[in-house]
Amino acid sequence: MIILRNLRFITKVTKTDANIPNYLPKNIRSLRNQTRQRVESLTTKEEHTDHVEKLAQPTRTEQRVNTGITEAVNKYLKNELRHIENKENIDVPTIQTNATHSSHLPANDEEIDDQLLDVGEAKKDYVPTFNLAAYVNKSPTLQKFLQLGVDLHSIERRKGLAKFTLGLDFEKDVQPYLYFLQDQGVPAESFGELITKNPLIFKIDIDDLQTRVNYLESKKFTAVQRQRIFTYNPFWLMFSTHRIDKRLGHFQKEFHLNGDDVRFLASKQPRLITYNMDHIRKASFCIREEMGFDKDEIKCLLLSKPRLWMINSDELIERFAYAHQTMGLSHDLLIQFPEVLTSREFRLRQRHEFLATLGRAQYDPEKDLYTSPKDLVSGNDYHFVRNVAKSDLETYELFLKTR
Amino acid sequence: MSLTKVYDAPTVFRHLNGIMNIYKPAGMKVKHVKNAVLHNIAKDLNEMKVREPRKLHTPLLEPGGDANPLLRKINSIDLADHILATGPRYQISDIRCALVAGLGIHTSGVLLFGINKGINQSQQVQRNRPVRAYHVTGRLGMATETHFPDARITVRADYRHVHPDRVSALAASMQASHQRKMYELCGVDLQSQAAYEIACKGLLRPADNTQPVIYGIKLIDFQRPDFTLEIHAINECEEYLASLINEVGIELRTVAHCTSIRCIRHGHYGVETSLLRHGWNLRGVVKNMREQRQVLQKHPHLINQDKIELRND
Repeated sequence: MIILRNLRFITKVTKTDANIPNYLPKNIRSLRNQTRQRVESLTTKEEHTDHVEKLAQPTRTEQRVNTGITEAVNKYLKNELRHIENKENIDVPTIQTNATHSSHLPANDEEIDDQLLDVGEAKKDYVPTFNLAAYVNKSPTLQKFLQLGVDLHSIERRKGLAKFTLGLDFEKDVQPYLYFLQDQGVPAESFGELITKNPLIFKIDIDDLQTRVNYLESKKFTAVQRQRIFTYNPFWLMFSTHRIDKRLGHFQKEFHLNGDDVRFLASKQPRLITYNMDHIRKASFCIREEMGFDKDEIKCLLLSKPRLWMINSDELIERFAYAHQTMGLSHDLLIQFPEVLTSREFRLRQRHEFLATLGRAQYDPEKDLYTSPKDLVSGNDYHFVRNVAKSDLETYELFLKTR
Repeated sequence: MSLTKVYDAPTVFRHLNGIMNIYKPAGMKVKHVKNAVLHNIAKDLNEMKVREPRKLHTPLLEPGGDANPLLRKINSIDLADHILATGPRYQISDIRCALVAGLGIHTSGVLLFGINKGINQSQQVQRNRPVRAYHVTGRLGMATETHFPDARITVRADYRHVHPDRVSALAASMQASHQRKMYELCGVDLQSQAAYEIACKGLLRPADNTQPVIYGIKLIDFQRPDFTLEIHAINECEEYLASLINEVGIELRTVAHCTSIRCIRHGHYGVETSLLRHGWNLRGVVKNMREQRQVLQKHPHLINQDKIELRND
């Protein structure tokens, strides 16, 4: 414990040297900390220790600032010390000053470490901790983040990000990026979520970000589309123009889209473009080969429900199998109502089975008692039972308890 | 007694004790059911009025304190206690939850959980081994590897000769032979006076929880090829019930597999009051626990069992 406190003391001293106007109160406090450990000695000669304290401060600060003065001061200090030593039984304070000097030496290493780690003001006098919450009261950057609505709790769960966030200086590292995002039309309310999801955006050079925006401009993305992209996909700006270009090209070629379609797709579901490409290839295979949609149908599906490409393909094929084989919905109907494929299988199943027991499961629009598949999956259970099944909730619950 | 609406999350959490009765859907693991329910409870608690961040207590007269920027915020809030810094006030791990008795993945029906201080009760309920009642549906004509429909089919057979009275007779004879086994499992020597006295009392609970015991098998529905048996049992598991269906099939000179298992009663906790999937939220859980508390009041022997035989009250 004492070692820790000393270490903290050392870092404090070295740091305060850098900015002179701040040093005074902290130095006094640090020295008082030390004197507090040696109360028994202090009770004897209190005025002398005070004297030495006052002398010790300027020397320590000036040692750094200009070495020319330090020699003179050292000489003065030595004289002073000799003067003190002449008076008897006051060797304690000299030991103390020696102690501070000797402990000063490793402090340089500490400081070099700090600089290497590139952790800024926030690192000062902090001890290791498990979460960012311990630093919030001390770090102005984290306080600003809280005001923006950044969820520090979810940042610290990802490896390495807590350290990175702590090292940020709001004025220098964060503010330019927020201005930049604001210029792109990202609303201030979504800054919090954006930083929560992707704090590493502060690592990227702002010129690079500008290049990426310029790329989208050159590809004729409108301002509204760009704003949607940056707001709904915090990771978009992390991708280099080369990668984005390759991916947009891939979507264009694979699904035979024209330029407007690509722009529409990217702004409708910006996360799809930066999604895991392996997953997208798998989903494409699943939709084309396993479900058997043809080229135009796939394009139609992609533009109306791009989320289908981000769903686990096993679940997707299960839903499709139920809708197509058990419920008897044709491919055309599924293209018309892609919502059916985005609802979970158990939901589809229990609603369809309930309608089947009521004799209302009739999805052919040309016959009587038609129930739209879109109505089937939309709304909560109460809405479904009252408006689609035209029954009551008790009956539905009794039915569900026989499953 | 006047009823007031509660908006305060700590109040609700303090009273979140007891046993809840969840309707488990088939095809979902117990672990996932538990996670889903607890996740929704924590989410709803966090949406209510949660505790405000603490006030910051900085000593006013700290040595060298006048330059301390914190001093200016004496009465301001402690940001380290802010929700964004510490995470949500209620998390899944804050809610203690214990299962009374598990159900397999193919089983649907009554699933009991003890929550917070209700864990104690739930353990006692489990220790007393209440009887569970099942509706088990089998399908004749096909046997599968695991006796469940999602496995590979191993045998096909003709089932047109099977009649419901034949199935009922078989069920009755199986019930008789299982009851004979029940006396062996009650924990005393069969040739002793103690065994005779215990046997005089009627149906007995087993001494340990290793061997499944079946008390009743009854045919309640027969629509060839599907048939449904109602089974009352202790210490059973879904594989055991499925293999029972398989045996029924073989005894009937055909084969069968099990298409669904539904637990309709666990002790005195019935399926009527169990909580369906769309009620898995704080409001539903609180209401459900209130209902289940009445069950426990009506039948105190669910916790303090004093008799070895099965009881009807």
